[in-house]
Amino acid sequence: MRARSTPKQNHLLAALPAADLIRLAPQLEPVPLALGAVIYESGGEQAHVYFPTSGIVSLLYVMNDGAAAEIAVVGSEGMVGISLFMGGGTTPSRAVVQSVGKAYRLDAAQIKTEFARGGALQRLLLRYTQALITQMTQTAVCNRHHQLEQQLCRWLLLSLDRLASSELVMTQQLIANMLGVRREGVTEAAGRLQADGLISYRRGRINVLDREKLEERVCECYAVVRRESDRLLASHAALAA
Amino acid sequence: MRATPSSVRIDPKDNHLLAALSDASFEALSPHLERVPLPLGAVVYESGGAQRYVYFPTTSIVSLLYVLANGSSAEIAVTGNEGLVGISLFMGGETTPSRAVVQSAGHGYRLKADVLRKEFESGGVFQHLLLRYTQALITQMTQTAVCNRHHTVDQQLCRWLLLSLDRLPGDELVMTQELIANMLGVRREGVTEAAGKLQAEGLIRYSRGRIKVLDRQQLEARVCECYGVVKKEYDRLLPEIRPQ
Repeated sequence: MRARSTPKQNHLLAALPAADLIRLAPQLEPVPLALGAVIYESGGEQAHVYFPTSGIVSLLYVMNDGAAAEIAVVGSEGMVGISLFMGGGTTPSRAVVQSVGKAYRLDAAQIKTEFARGGALQRLLLRYTQALITQMTQTAVCNRHHQLEQQLCRWLLLSLDRLASSELVMTQQLIANMLGVRREGVTEAAGRLQADGLISYRRGRINVLDREKLEERVCECYAVVRRESDRLLASHAALAA
Repeated sequence: MRATPSSVRIDPKDNHLLAALSDASFEALSPHLERVPLPLGAVVYESGGAQRYVYFPTTSIVSLLYVLANGSSAEIAVTGNEGLVGISLFMGGETTPSRAVVQSAGHGYRLKADVLRKEFESGGVFQHLLLRYTQALITQMTQTAVCNRHHTVDQQLCRWLLLSLDRLPGDELVMTQELIANMLGVRREGVTEAAGKLQAEGLIRYSRGRIKVLDRQQLEARVCECYGVVKKEYDRLLPEIRPQ
């Protein structure tokens, strides 16, 4: 049986000083993250920020011709909707639920008010944004230099880090859309990982069997992102522990 | 590096972010602004290195790039007179995995980290401006990821030329093809070929490390959508910054 979710299952909310979380708690609205649900449309007004407690939201840019490219993934380590406190209130990218889960959301006006208070919450959100920037920039690097198989490994590991289990509910077509590559390429790369016993893939479910091996196969981009997130957010995690 | 002729006006407000500050913020910061040359290839920040100053370019372009373990590199974003280099000083972390290198020689102003941070933490208009700038920069970075995935070297070169031009006072880049190739993370031959095509069609003129843009309109007709997305987002987020 699954335990009821609490705001503290989101690492950012958990890292807030107790007084901040107590103040926010009544305004946090639990919402489901349904597979494929569009949280923000490109250029659309963003009415809430989302703090996932489970599941994964993908930030991606959809081009005029319909092809897409993923920019970053966000799960229980982070939040979706930075433009509400950074400024602008909309983005050219869109946010889509890539792995089903739950989140708490907070009204746009409230996050702006909270952010404007300064202090721990503001610093935490800015550091998170800086970690997110590293993920985005490393996506640019990886798209330029690395093989599809390495990118798939990076994508699997980043996703796994954001999930409670070792299983991703995911079709190869969706992975191909996220990575912005042809489906055949993903099938081939996933087939190799499966043949080597790193993952098992069946009916839209990917099970990671050997995480260590996956970490050996991945390009350096994964570690750069991981290390930077740990560095930027570790002190906050320690505070909350 | 060219020396600045004494007749040329030297003003921190040649940087559009500094020009957009409120009088109060500008007065608080201006005694601390130090004019510095930014010669071609100079490393402003090393990957993982402590960042002690934030830089406001006026006549140069600084490239943020990531250097891989094998030595190849990929550019993440360019910053010129529209922005600043060193967001991690107010965002947090004080260092980045990427490195910042001067890509087109010129000058800029720098400010000590603690002076910047103090002004940032006072909140208000200054903080809003820096955060909106960072959000615009994020759009540039994400669009680099998209462009790297989907577009040809020809289109990427056009994007790169236009983004750079928008960040310089003139229509000339002081730049080698080797450097462009490093920035874009592609083979030099690819850049030579793409630049050759643009030159043959009269869009640019390339000679001895200088690229002059002759037909900006044609360049805009050739570029992928990524350029427009970035430009529109900078204009929207930073309406107070209007390049001449």
